[in-house]
Amino acid sequence: MGLQELLSTYGDMYVQALLVTWRMTAIAFAGAMLLALLVTVARVSPIKPLRKLGDLYVQIFRNIPGVSLLIICVYALPHLKVVLDYGVCVILTTTLVASAFGSENFMSGINTIGVGQVEAARSLGLSFGQILRQVVIPQALRSAVLPMTNLLIAVMLTTALGSQVPLDPPELTGLVSYINTRSVGGILAFFISAIGYAGTAFAIGIVGNQIDKRVRILR
Amino acid sequence: MSANVISMRDALYEEPGPKTRRRILVGTIVASIAVAALFVFIAWRFYVTGQLSPKYWSFFTKVSTWRYLGQGLLGTFQVALTAGAISLVLGVLFMLGRISRNKVGSAIFRVVVNFFRGIPSLLLIYFFFLVIPSYGIKMPAFWMLALPISLTASGVLAEVFRAGVNAVPKGQREAALSLGMSEGKVMRKIILPQAIRFVIPSLISQLVVVVKDTTVAYVVSFPDMLQNARVLITNYDALVSTYFVVAIIYILINYAINQASVAVARRSGAKVIARTEEEPI
Repeated sequence: MGLQELLSTYGDMYVQALLVTWRMTAIAFAGAMLLALLVTVARVSPIKPLRKLGDLYVQIFRNIPGVSLLIICVYALPHLKVVLDYGVCVILTTTLVASAFGSENFMSGINTIGVGQVEAARSLGLSFGQILRQVVIPQALRSAVLPMTNLLIAVMLTTALGSQVPLDPPELTGLVSYINTRSVGGILAFFISAIGYAGTAFAIGIVGNQIDKRVRILR
Repeated sequence: MSANVISMRDALYEEPGPKTRRRILVGTIVASIAVAALFVFIAWRFYVTGQLSPKYWSFFTKVSTWRYLGQGLLGTFQVALTAGAISLVLGVLFMLGRISRNKVGSAIFRVVVNFFRGIPSLLLIYFFFLVIPSYGIKMPAFWMLALPISLTASGVLAEVFRAGVNAVPKGQREAALSLGMSEGKVMRKIILPQAIRFVIPSLISQLVVVVKDTTVAYVVSFPDMLQNARVLITNYDALVSTYFVVAIIYILINYAINQASVAVARRSGAKVIARTEEEPI
């Protein structure tokens, strides 16, 4: 199938698929950031069980394969009387996995701040909450820009899990298998999707680098 | 890393006084109850839906079950190690192309590296599974899985290696050149041996990504652990328990790999490359 024919037949679907991938990426990344922040606060809190639970959470979700988690969400949870939509499962899986890595990024961001600053803040009489809000989190966020950029790209790549469940409309990876089961899409059908991913990743990388340059703390 | 985490964690608060200690104690108790309630709730979900019934779990006491899962695990390891080995070689080649002084070559490899880094391995697996056969090339399932996984991993590894090469002090290259070594010899004898040592922890943790990628083996119907688990499920009609057990096995394997990476990083001493260049998930 030539490029002309491919685009005239499936052009609209490619646009839709790209939008689906972007939408899932945006939702999952936003959710992951929120969860990661919560988990990180739990991991640095003075309350032992919360620390341990946060650590356990991170170890579970950074080590579980996305496919395995997706399968549990789609096939096992209904047996436990928890029925979720296919699209929700893909986003949930991506969010959970990404939040574990996000929390790790925050933790290493916190670790770069340096004990001295925290000690200084404490000797000024700042409370734990104030130290977190005014000293630790602003700096941790700034030094986490680059890792989080990479995480955003990884989130986008993880949404390819959506090809493993019936989504309507399909996302970029699902669309390739959709086209190839109907007609011989050939290399081109694959390449258009690939460029959708790689192009987005490239753009994210550039924006992330720009932001990082502006906010990075030089030590 | 963890030693570092603890110290920073502990720096965040004062040695607590009696009031704070009481507050922390109350918080600890409340949190413990909440955590316990969470686990009880999960167990309760299993119980009320009948998933704790022995018929779903008893076959895990059979040797045949574990042998079968073990066979699948062997398949998983075969693909993961093969893909890992290929991606090491390709990663170094891509990196060498990327940093070459030839402008055109460097630009080409830059595109190649960013391309493989920027697409999901699943898409590439579909390419090997659906597209390549349509051009009349037949390939066993093993390679339809191992090749795409190693290609996406090598894009990431190329960047990891590049970070390693950049971490070797510039003066060493200049000194070696001024001793009359050729560029190639400097790379082989001076830079690469050090660069590779710097990135070994990152390489080990990249194996986690490869192991995770192998779980889509069912797409090409290669018998990995997850695929064998599906067979068990149809045999024993025990979906929930099997999927949970398999997920836990994967978590433990990847946890072990990560711990190995941390241990190597700690043993190799101070200079370890930041892992920001890696593709995490």
